[in-house]
Amino acid sequence: MAKYVTKRIIYMIITLFLIASFTFFLMKMLPGSPISSAPKLTPEQLAVVEAKYGLDKPLPEQYLQYLGNMVKLDFGVSFQFKGADVTQLIINRAGPSFQLGIQALVLGTLIGIILGMIAALKQNTVWDYGSTLIAIFGLSIPSFVFATLLQYWVGVKWELLPVALWKNGFSSSIMPTIALAIGPLATAARFVRTEMVEVLSSDYILLAKAKGASRFEIAFKHAFRNALIPLITVMGPLAAGLVTGSLVVEQIFAIPGIGEQFVKSINMNDFPIIMGTTMFYSFLLIVIIFIVDILYGIIDPRIRLAGGTK
Amino acid sequence: MTQQYDKLPPEAFKLVKVNSTHAEQIARPSLNFWQDAWLRLRKNKAAVISMIVLIFIVIIALVGPHLNSYGYNDQNVSKANLPPKISWLAPLGIADGYAEVAGKKVDVYAQKNVKENYWFGTDSLGRDLFTRVWKGSQISLLIAFVAALVDVIIGVAYGGISGYYGGKVDDIMQRIIEILAGIPNLIIVILMLMVMEPGITAIIIAIALTGWIGMSRIVRGQVLKFKNQEFVLASRTLGASNSRIIFKHLLPNIMAIIVINTMFTVPTAIFFEAFLSFIGLGLQAPNASLGTLINDGYKMLQFQPYMLGIPAAVLSILMIAFNLLGDGLRDALDPKMKD
Amino acid sequence: MKKSKLVWLLSLVLVLSVFLAACGGKDKDETKGTDNNTEKTNKPDAKQELNLMETAEIPTADSALVTDTVGFTVLNNVNEGLYRLNKDNVAEPAIAEGEPKVNEDGTVYTFTLRDAKWSDGSAVTANDFEFAWKRAIDPKTGSEYGPYMMNGVIKNAEKIATGKAKPDTLGVKAVDDKTLEVTLEKPVPYFLSLMAFGTFLPQKEEFVKEKGKQYAKNSDNILYNGPFVLTDWDGTGLTWKYKKNENYWDKDNVKLDTINVDVVKETGTGVNLYNSGEKDRAGLNGEFAAQYANDKNLVKTEEASVFYLKLNQKRGGKTDTPLANVNIRKAIAQAFNKEELTKNVLANGSEPANYLVPKNFTFDENNKDFRDVNGDMNKFDATAAKESWEKGLKELGVKKVELEFLGDDGDLSKKMDEYMKNQLEKNLPGLSIKLKEVPFQNRIELDTKQDYDIQFAGWGPDYQDPLTFISLWTSDSAQNKMSYASKEYDKLVKDANITYANEPAKRWQALADAEKLVVETDAAIAPVYQRTRIALQQPYVKDLVIHNFGADYSYKWAYIAGKE
Repeated sequence: MAKYVTKRIIYMIITLFLIASFTFFLMKMLPGSPISSAPKLTPEQLAVVEAKYGLDKPLPEQYLQYLGNMVKLDFGVSFQFKGADVTQLIINRAGPSFQLGIQALVLGTLIGIILGMIAALKQNTVWDYGSTLIAIFGLSIPSFVFATLLQYWVGVKWELLPVALWKNGFSSSIMPTIALAIGPLATAARFVRTEMVEVLSSDYILLAKAKGASRFEIAFKHAFRNALIPLITVMGPLAAGLVTGSLVVEQIFAIPGIGEQFVKSINMNDFPIIMGTTMFYSFLLIVIIFIVDILYGIIDPRIRLAGGTK
Repeated sequence: MTQQYDKLPPEAFKLVKVNSTHAEQIARPSLNFWQDAWLRLRKNKAAVISMIVLIFIVIIALVGPHLNSYGYNDQNVSKANLPPKISWLAPLGIADGYAEVAGKKVDVYAQKNVKENYWFGTDSLGRDLFTRVWKGSQISLLIAFVAALVDVIIGVAYGGISGYYGGKVDDIMQRIIEILAGIPNLIIVILMLMVMEPGITAIIIAIALTGWIGMSRIVRGQVLKFKNQEFVLASRTLGASNSRIIFKHLLPNIMAIIVINTMFTVPTAIFFEAFLSFIGLGLQAPNASLGTLINDGYKMLQFQPYMLGIPAAVLSILMIAFNLLGDGLRDALDPKMKD
Repeated sequence: MKKSKLVWLLSLVLVLSVFLAACGGKDKDETKGTDNNTEKTNKPDAKQELNLMETAEIPTADSALVTDTVGFTVLNNVNEGLYRLNKDNVAEPAIAEGEPKVNEDGTVYTFTLRDAKWSDGSAVTANDFEFAWKRAIDPKTGSEYGPYMMNGVIKNAEKIATGKAKPDTLGVKAVDDKTLEVTLEKPVPYFLSLMAFGTFLPQKEEFVKEKGKQYAKNSDNILYNGPFVLTDWDGTGLTWKYKKNENYWDKDNVKLDTINVDVVKETGTGVNLYNSGEKDRAGLNGEFAAQYANDKNLVKTEEASVFYLKLNQKRGGKTDTPLANVNIRKAIAQAFNKEELTKNVLANGSEPANYLVPKNFTFDENNKDFRDVNGDMNKFDATAAKESWEKGLKELGVKKVELEFLGDDGDLSKKMDEYMKNQLEKNLPGLSIKLKEVPFQNRIELDTKQDYDIQFAGWGPDYQDPLTFISLWTSDSAQNKMSYASKEYDKLVKDANITYANEPAKRWQALADAEKLVVETDAAIAPVYQRTRIALQQPYVKDLVIHNFGADYSYKWAYIAGKE
């Protein structure tokens, strides 16, 4: 186990290093920097400003400096916010994004599990088709369309929840959470259905039936638990998917999150923020995948982590 | 009772010879894998309907833009923002060219003095939405299919090599995958699009760039499963070459899972293109895709809901159809399989 | 926990019904709060709270570094310079007590300061101005606007900015606490209108030095001497507040107690917030402008920003493009229907521009608009365009021309670009336009490299004088970037700038001649439209002043009446 964990951590570091290098050189290839494009600077001033951001040094030196700072969790200062510390900015913005992400993940998987179970237990009935349809519907509506619809009807027309902004505590987070949750919901529902169908046809369920266990008992005591374990494996991709959603949802609901800032930074060519956010997202994703793998190994004893042969 | 038998003439009895060849005879016509799958798929109504719908959409996406006289980029600003009007539906009160302006129903066509009918209405530059929607579907499908194809080629090759050769090769290739999998693909796609000249090719490359990892993992898993099975071993013992084993034995067996996976890749790509349009990294004007149309339309949601509704409906139908067909294929090709 | 689960479930039910409802057609759009009788009263309400939105964050609140409209607007409302723009967009004395003394040749201005206080209670002194200006010109500060606004205006500014002189040598001096003496490089007729500009705001030396790098990084690290103080701003956040400044010298004329500002980047979200009554004013862009065209709460404000096509004569500053031919340029300038573009495509009240210097922006001594001199030039004329096009093609000896059209990637810009492509290709046979749409920053970069053929660009004035537009196209201008070089033009601008600096009538004519040359005779640029700002605003919001140059808004005089 310890050997496996060490190995994984080494891989994680390599991955992060590669991402960091890739992003760095990609950014250097990009046309347009907010500094060289400041239309009112004379060449002399430009030189001063470039020196201030360390852009006057040769590329390899910039690269090494960038990597060195990154280890210290220092992503430099933002271009668009004159001199604002990128790390601090990400920390300031992380709160709402985390809250929404976690709420959406919980809500999405919960409802997804319920839908998936209904579908599996009542296979090939109206219930099955209904919940499958909801799941697929969730996959088919772009989140920005869904979020806009929600905002207009629930917020403006029916006045049930705040239209946008991040001011009214929990109630502000309900609509964005729903808009974000629709993706994980659909994925979880489909996944749980497939798992449950398979578990329900396995021998031990047959045995339970033969023993005379009730439908309820079979569904919850036996099938449910075993069907859920593999769900953990999709949690990583699910969480990654939330990032996509958050870019859109945060913008529409004017939430001070990381996703919203990321989109803006792309449009502003704010390289330090783009790089910082990329590293932040990558780190998060890698850690989630890592935790999922470890958890999976602990929960499901059939999976052997330490170098089993296949 | 026994006496009755005595009355039977001995001629009634004949010795039956057992013909051993008959035992091997197959009464029903032989079905290959695909025919068998097709039989099973046919029983799944949702999948069949989805397939018909998909074929229909593909056809209309190809034919649709030519069904009327408007080009996809023919602007006529004086005819902007017209609601849909279809003459044979108008008496029913649908698509009658009326829109609500300041609380009153107004015949926009009469107001703007437009004689011809626009089946899906027009956009804010007076372009025919019918033409644009189908042109857009064409491009969206093109992006999706090409991206899926690239996924399949890279994914199968990578996964196949890794799984088949195993050992050191597999080890190295899997470590690479492990590292790549940690890269958040969305971010990379966005960054790539910032560097590349925007356009269809850039979007396809960006989507395909990260999409093949999932495919390669599945293929590798399947190859690992099959390569040590008896029929492969038998073939190997008989001296079959690697390429014969791969193409004759392994590929047909993993074909099903490749097809199914592709069915889910296509809609993901369509969806992704729509998302890119939203954050402003989509197609360049005046090209249309379902994504750009939806992105244009969603801002007009409160006033001209058809501008969002129609492309969104086409997108949703495509997504649903691909997903249902994918589900159906999965059940038909390998009922025990999961993703 | 249980309770919140219930909320979630309820919400899900809501979600599903949204779709059902969305299919059921749309409702009437009623704007809440419009039934107030607007004429009823102008008496301020008891609760003076205004709710506003911005479209972007505050990049910085340091007056030396600020470059964007949000930053300038914030500073305009929390700080005050020697002058301030009044309700009619005229700069009038603010921290300066009365008009300054000016020496005979118009190069030395002596201001007397009134008794004003910073938000910490200390007095605003002449040294605060001297310090702030020197800080802004110091290359070490890295200010963009400091040199831009001061070069050629304040003595030695250019030398300091290029590192040839020390910041100390700048022509500004605090004679005593109440007297500020400014020495100019040359007479500048519009100098006083500059004094209302954000770059010339004072900063308290002691405070700036004490805060060091943290200065102006959040609302606690700035001092205020304007109508309001900034609160609840963390430096990069989407929200901030203005509170009435109790130390402001003119606080009796400030009626609002609080202004709540939130950054909302999606126009649709902004409109929804306005319709739900949460915000009092919502800016509109193209699509939304057209939809709300008949709304009774629609407020239109003409801006002094002009948009035009830059016609690049040398790609990368080296190889000639077809646009080096004057007939080709003239053809393009006249080949698109500006009326239709502004009315149907932009549909936000913007007006077609057949000029470079906007109307209702600058006036001569007799209060006559600069626009009256030249009138319209190169109006849309498809036939004339085609004629010059064919002439130009013949001169070039080609039948077909392909040009790259560079634009922004905003929603409205995209729509405009599509329209322009269509128009140009339709009216000029043999022309094919390749659209290239990039984020604003990238467009500016391509502009700097002159890597484009036609570029959709715009300019907003920095001070109230035609020169802010005219000076763009001199051959040595940093904004030119299209290889337009005319000796005649350069001379006219030099005349206006130096020779006739103290002869207003001649100066005016020189500027007008220059405009005619660049727009009509040489067709170096093709003007498209003059922008109008359009917004929904609740009728109970009174006296919210919108400026057409410098900062966008002044809240000093705004108040709420009739909301309750």
